[in-house]
Amino acid sequence: MFPGALADRDDADYVLLGAPLDVSTSFQPGTRFGPDRVRTFSRTFDDFDHLTAAHFTELGVHDAGDLHAWDDAAEYLDFLGGTLADVRDDGALPLLLGGEHTVSIAGVRACAPATVVVLDAHLDLRREYDGNPLSHSTVVRHALDVAERAVIVGARTGSEAEWERAAADDVTVVPPEEAGEWAPDVEGPVYLSVDVDAADPAYAPGTGTMEPFGLTPREMHRIVRSLAPDCVGFDVVEVNDRDDGQAATLAGKLLRAFVFAHAAADA
Amino acid sequence: MAKQQTEVRDLQEGSYVMIEDTPCVINAYSTAKPGKHGSAKARVEGKGVFDSKKRNFTQPVDAKVWVPIIDRKQGQVINVDGNDMQVMDLETYETITMRVPDGVDPSSNDEIEYLEYEGQRKIV
Repeated sequence: MFPGALADRDDADYVLLGAPLDVSTSFQPGTRFGPDRVRTFSRTFDDFDHLTAAHFTELGVHDAGDLHAWDDAAEYLDFLGGTLADVRDDGALPLLLGGEHTVSIAGVRACAPATVVVLDAHLDLRREYDGNPLSHSTVVRHALDVAERAVIVGARTGSEAEWERAAADDVTVVPPEEAGEWAPDVEGPVYLSVDVDAADPAYAPGTGTMEPFGLTPREMHRIVRSLAPDCVGFDVVEVNDRDDGQAATLAGKLLRAFVFAHAAADA
Repeated sequence: MAKQQTEVRDLQEGSYVMIEDTPCVINAYSTAKPGKHGSAKARVEGKGVFDSKKRNFTQPVDAKVWVPIIDRKQGQVINVDGNDMQVMDLETYETITMRVPDGVDPSSNDEIEYLEYEGQRKIV
């Protein structure tokens, strides 16, 4: 269980679901361990958040465990998306814990946001990768089938075709050097997806495809907190087990920061 | 008895199932694989046949569920009186009173088709 996620499913305002999908990771695999890793490294966080004067255990978070993943990504996303839509129908906000970034497609489909904001080192605008249209590097393209606009914060690499796609009106790229000053001016409702590789690999080396010159955890924290009030869904993905817990710690902290900021705005 | 029992695995999109004691038509059906532990599960999303309300459940595929036996009937409108109309069942010649649904403008002698389940009816 995610530490402090004590609420019953029926009473929950937030439902956390692990989605340990690990089928298209193209370099270092291990996202299948991501959800448990994040739960483990979130044990040390204080229940009390002084920024919002709230206790995590009192915010109505339920941990629904993991949805066991199998190798048919399309089928998996179908089931996962339905499960997350059930959370929405019950009036709760889904918190998705990856797993590879592909799982965000299910989150976006379930929440049907106007805008998707992605913190990511990569543009993830490929049509396919190695012939796979449901690769982790196609997420934003799939998200744009649902949302009208995508904002990719911290992006610093992509193929030539991806950069061309990113130049279209429905995509905004906020490069890492501008992320510190970026004031979110997005149309709600928003789905926020945090790929932990948005962070500089010095801070979060336990991820599949590290990319230097990234965001600082403090910048990510500020952005997550400022966007949270407009969000209808949230995920943090691409954490694996190939570090000493840095990536999982950052992911767990950002998830908690999201809940605190969202709940404070709701209060 | 106007319902029969089956297993979740035998359901499919477009067929009927009881969800929360209400007859529903299935509009989404997806399954999750079990891995080495646990059992395969199915998520079933339905819409109330008579109230159009969305309902869903997730159950192991070998769980038992009830399927309502919903009759599809032919009727003839005998008389329309404000929000109500009298309809004659064309099989039994029994006359029943139905509420005129929104968006339908029936007149006498119109032939209609309707679904019936335990006293609930819906024109199709």
